Amino acid sequence: MMVQGYAVAAAVAALCTAACFALFEVLALNDLVMVYLLGTLVVALRGRRGPALFSSLLGVACFNFFFVPPRFTLHVEHSQYVVTFVVMFAVALIISHLAVRVRTQAEAAKRAEVVAETERLRSSLLSAVSHELRTPLAAIIGSASTLLQAPPGGGASSKDLLVNIRDEADRLTRLVHNLIETTRLESGAALKKELYPIEDVIGTALERTEKLLAGRFVGTDLPENLPLVPVDPVLMELVFVNLIENAVRHAPDAPLDISARERMDGLEVSFADRGPGLKPDELERVFEKFYRASAAPGAGLGLAICKAVVEAHGGTIRAENRPGGGAIFLLTLPRGNAR
Amino acid sequence: MSERKATVLVVDDERAIQRFLRPSLEENGFAVLEASTGRAALELAVARKPDVILLDLSLPDMDGLDVLKRLREWSSAPVIVVSARGQESDKIAGLDRGADDYLTKPFGVEELLARIRVALRHAEGAARDPEPVYEHGDLKIDLTLRRVWLSKKEVRLSPLQYTLLAALVRDAGRVVSQKQLMKELWPEGGSTPEALRILVHQTRHRVEKEPVRPRHLKTEPAVGYRLEAPDE
Repeated sequence: MMVQGYAVAAAVAALCTAACFALFEVLALNDLVMVYLLGTLVVALRGRRGPALFSSLLGVACFNFFFVPPRFTLHVEHSQYVVTFVVMFAVALIISHLAVRVRTQAEAAKRAEVVAETERLRSSLLSAVSHELRTPLAAIIGSASTLLQAPPGGGASSKDLLVNIRDEADRLTRLVHNLIETTRLESGAALKKELYPIEDVIGTALERTEKLLAGRFVGTDLPENLPLVPVDPVLMELVFVNLIENAVRHAPDAPLDISARERMDGLEVSFADRGPGLKPDELERVFEKFYRASAAPGAGLGLAICKAVVEAHGGTIRAENRPGGGAIFLLTLPRGNAR
Repeated sequence: MSERKATVLVVDDERAIQRFLRPSLEENGFAVLEASTGRAALELAVARKPDVILLDLSLPDMDGLDVLKRLREWSSAPVIVVSARGQESDKIAGLDRGADDYLTKPFGVEELLARIRVALRHAEGAARDPEPVYEHGDLKIDLTLRRVWLSKKEVRLSPLQYTLLAALVRDAGRVVSQKQLMKELWPEGGSTPEALRILVHQTRHRVEKEPVRPRHLKTEPAVGYRLEAPDE
């Protein structure tokens, strides 16, 4: 990287010299200086001081050696050329100084923009997550303190409060799990992919969401002889859990249908609900981080994680409206080797 | 149950966890010992010889896996390893070093009691002959006749599918790691984890009414499989 800048400066000087040879008959000697100054500007625009200075010196040296009489020596006949050299060098220095500054300022502005963007994402993460953490915590603390005040023995309502505590704690657990896995994925941790029957992974996701589903009908259509697919079982289970949670949230009390089919290049898995469906502009946006469908609860993280995980597997995920009402999430997983 | 109360050694440095474990274990008829460091756990294990050890892997003074290794040098008391989700490699390492089972934090008390009971039964059963007939819900496996029934209808299994079930019955209620199962099914080696997963998948389609919602043969993601403990 260091050497590269100087190599470019040398190449530019060589190019300028070649151009000057071509123009030597047409232009006055002093006009050739302009060609070298142009070359220095080009080098300086790359944004590094050292190569720009080197280019300025090289320009003066080449001009002197190749074109100032006596030619092909560094010797100078007329003292007026010394003034030319000094002016040429000074102009080259000023040009390169300014160009480098423009370049560094542009870079700093770009960095500031990235920082601002990260900051914006972080603050929306913070507000989404803090809302999402506070709601179950408020429910847990409220229920627990009510139970503490209640006369011993309790009753039917104390059981409800206890169920509330457990369910809200489960919700917190899922959120924390999502956050941990997103962070892991974003930090570039490798997937632990191995070949699995998809039925196995869907099965563990269904088991983990048993309480959340609370007896709701889940239809499954998974042919026995589907090919195995390379997946990270923990992350892919998280995708399915998030899709189930999404359906429960947006299509309460409606059945959910899960199916998988073999396709040319892998497997297509679909999660279809009978909820309100999605507006046309939401079909893409639901996968954005912190996007929440109108007035829906949740941190807007679940589907974004689904997308990140599926894409990390080389697959795709998309949302469609289901014929007859409801939303359908379709994901494709490529077949192939585990590693 | 035996006349003597079974003793559980709980190794965990979190006071909040100890606070809920002690009353729930005592209420269910166990005596409880507590240790919040690996060193204290090893000392208590020597001095009091607990019947079951519940070992959290993240301890302040030493690696939980090292505690397990030192325990196993002289003790065969069942150890149930406790660790968080996403640390599947720790669970596998724990099973490889002689842990009997594991629990994933956060866990409910029913799950905890079920694991402890299974661990105790296996520790007892090590001295006796195993039960020849396994029954859980609609599934019945007879190890002496080598026959399997689902809802009273006999199920035809390939020899390998039967070997898988028999291996899991012997450890019923406990997790069996992928590695352990492969050793049992293919003692000569030469097989792959994929072959095991296909075998489990096919077996489920014979012995489960709804293979995607297995009631008997459960998957422990990234670790292994568990055949539910038989009906009491």
